[in-house]
Amino acid sequence: MRARWPWVLLLVALLALGPQFLKSYQVYLLSLAAVYALAALGLNLLTGYAGQISLGHAGFLAIGGYSAALLQVKLAWPLWASLPAAGLLTALLGLVLVIPALRLSEIYLAIATLGFGVAVEQLLPQWAWTGGHQGFSIPRPELFGLALNSDLAFYYLILAVGLALVWIAANAVRAPLGRAFVAIRDNELAAQALGISLARTKSYAFLLSAFYTGIAGALYANLVGYLNVSTFNLGLSILLLSMIAVGGLASIPGSLLGAAFLGLLPQVLSGFSAWVPQFIYGAALLLVVIFMPYGIWGFLLQTVGRGRGLMRSARRLFPGPRAESGSTGGDDHA
Amino acid sequence: MMEILPQLIVSGLAAGSLYALMALGMILIFKTTDVVNFAHGDMAMISSFVALTLMRGYHQPYWLAVLAAIAMGFVLGALADLILRPARNAPILTLLIATLGISLMLSALGGHFFGYQTVSFPYALVGKPFVIAGVILTRHNALALGVAAALGLGLFALLKYTSVGTAMRAMAQNRLAAQLMGVNVRRVSTLSWGLGAALGAVAGVLIAPVVFLDLNTMITVLIKAFAAAVLGGFTSLLGAVVGGLLLGVLENLVGGYLSTQLQTTFVFLLIIVMLAIRPRGLLGAPVAGRRA
Amino acid sequence: MLELQGVTMRFGGLKALDEVSFRVEPDRIVGLIGPNGAGKTTVFNLISRFYHPSSGSIRFNGIELTHLSAHEIIGKGIARTFQNLGLFPYLTVMDNLLLGQHCRVRTPVLLQALHLPGARHEDRQMRVRAGQLLEQVGLAQLAPAYVAGLPYGVQKIIEFCRALVARPRLLLLDEPAAGLTSAETEAMAGFIRGARDQFGVTVLLIEHDMSLVMKLCERVIVMDFGQVIAEGTPAQIQHDPQVIEAYLGRPAEEAPHA
Repeated sequence: MRARWPWVLLLVALLALGPQFLKSYQVYLLSLAAVYALAALGLNLLTGYAGQISLGHAGFLAIGGYSAALLQVKLAWPLWASLPAAGLLTALLGLVLVIPALRLSEIYLAIATLGFGVAVEQLLPQWAWTGGHQGFSIPRPELFGLALNSDLAFYYLILAVGLALVWIAANAVRAPLGRAFVAIRDNELAAQALGISLARTKSYAFLLSAFYTGIAGALYANLVGYLNVSTFNLGLSILLLSMIAVGGLASIPGSLLGAAFLGLLPQVLSGFSAWVPQFIYGAALLLVVIFMPYGIWGFLLQTVGRGRGLMRSARRLFPGPRAESGSTGGDDHA
Repeated sequence: MMEILPQLIVSGLAAGSLYALMALGMILIFKTTDVVNFAHGDMAMISSFVALTLMRGYHQPYWLAVLAAIAMGFVLGALADLILRPARNAPILTLLIATLGISLMLSALGGHFFGYQTVSFPYALVGKPFVIAGVILTRHNALALGVAAALGLGLFALLKYTSVGTAMRAMAQNRLAAQLMGVNVRRVSTLSWGLGAALGAVAGVLIAPVVFLDLNTMITVLIKAFAAAVLGGFTSLLGAVVGGLLLGVLENLVGGYLSTQLQTTFVFLLIIVMLAIRPRGLLGAPVAGRRA
Repeated sequence: MLELQGVTMRFGGLKALDEVSFRVEPDRIVGLIGPNGAGKTTVFNLISRFYHPSSGSIRFNGIELTHLSAHEIIGKGIARTFQNLGLFPYLTVMDNLLLGQHCRVRTPVLLQALHLPGARHEDRQMRVRAGQLLEQVGLAQLAPAYVAGLPYGVQKIIEFCRALVARPRLLLLDEPAAGLTSAETEAMAGFIRGARDQFGVTVLLIEHDMSLVMKLCERVIVMDFGQVIAEGTPAQIQHDPQVIEAYLGRPAEEAPHA
């Protein structure tokens, strides 16, 4: 706590002033990485903290993006209204996944969420207004009469929204809600005995996660200016999962680092011929997770020698179907 | 409408038997090493391309090409095991992501060596289809069913009656205990990976003629195999077979009667409903006497 | 205070509990003993609502518990510990004790996320309470430590504190002294008695350490094969022929003699 503020301020200053010295395209890439970071943060709240694995988060990105685009283009809503509305709409749809999540865990939940992603990808083109498989163009919006045409201006919008959401997430994970997330992840029975409702807590986890990812999707739509449903495929869901595993599960800085690393790596490698970047990308993913099993952020914390236990939280996550549920139940009835 | 039902079921079973083969490999790997292998599809893709190159480029006979594919699958699986060894104790999600890394690398190599275009792949058997009571069974489908059944039974026999199989089952139960009982866990884990990926290679060369071959077709198959494995209970080999066949049939029924555009959506919806009833899969261990 | 009436629990064909009835009077420390497999933890899991009884009723201060969900139990004033520890190993001791007070959190989630003064005030209060309790058991310096690395005995005490910090009226302790050294057992006994004397908490505890049960408990309920076979003061049950028979031939350390 004590030593953290100066670092956060330094980082914010860097993020605010740095892009002034970057080319427009670089600012655009940075914006894209920031959008990924928000989505990864949303996924990490759900998967890293609350232990609910999702292979369908691309679906939330799509819902956020399409609803923002629809509100802006078809209903002429201003940005300040359409952005939160897209987040809320996504959050509400996120509640759909609570139903399987109450029954299923681990790899079984992974399949259910994967199904959700597939369903979104197949259903969206069915409606005419989404432009089907052709896609959908969205002009850059303005905010309170201020045009956000330039990449730099839009970057500052993303930065402002992102910082606010990071701050809220940081509050949430240290509040009773965040502790309840970890409690249901690590021991559902003990959590219930402490008065934590599984249904409520999982609902909050999905709501919050979908809200973040929905906002990210809405920002994505305006940033890129074009939506095509094929963008939001299983590969994107898996990319988000890779980001939090690479950055660090159950960690906010980890989400951001992972998204920055995996989001920007392809751009860094774009100079090579076709197969090389993909190979290096795969190798980087492999090496990072093998040699930093608790992610880049966990590795940094370990090398600095603090918070080892925090990152170990990842170890219990997604233990696979072999793990006994309800191991605290005692052996009396056996 | 009803008259196409037997046909849909039979073709579904044929497709499902290949999902089952793919799923069997994944489960064999998962049971012994705790790794959910997302590179399984790419391993099958590379193996199939090797077979195709031998046949097209070097004019080798089909059987030799398939043997080479199986060998390639085995080598890729064993290599993956070696690569993942340092991370043996990492969380399962981490291991899953690591296999994604392998998947991307294999896909990149595939693109480099075999190109990015979609190509056709020869059938093992061509000729007039069998017609039994009005139901058409192509020779290829019959072969697929037969091979899947033979390999499935072979795997059961291997696990049940050989010392290697016993070692694999022991490792699946408790790695440490198996090690203490003198099981060479490293060798058994490499062997499981090799066998699992080899099964994937067989599935690959049998699926490739149907779906054509490119860098991505096997990934679609992998997702279905994964879903089938989970539907079956993910730790049960029999579950993989049941899940695979069921998925193949469901897919055909949905396509035939409901919608082809939303086929996958409906299939997943049905899977989710079934999982809601059996949260640990069809043949997985039931959740112990807890109130929902 | 707590009253079980004709509680039967079947797992498939197995009858784990058969018409179990007993009462726990307020302000008592009551022991629930019996050989392994007698159904003691099943009783706890029924009170915690992890299981639903096949038949029978469980009432607490006049409230029928079988109509509630597992997470509503602590709000009625019943906290528990677990046989194999129900702590969250990847959280700190302080976070575990804050989770112990989760049922008392009043700040809505939205205000928590915005870190408004109300949330901060509540957080401070909970931290003070947890700190005081840790102080009393002499573990205040461990507040920022992660549970995962702590010795077993210390974890047992922390779990006891986590149950107590909820300010329950009834405390269910599942083998509080299992795995503890004799010195730690002594300390634990002191904490349990202190909880009753200082906070007026009624205690129902499962324990195999008979000397502890005889010293600590004012009443003892004995179970065997899913049935209550005896009930009374420690002195009474030590001389109960049925109890002696139940323990006959079993390992000496489990015999109900002090």
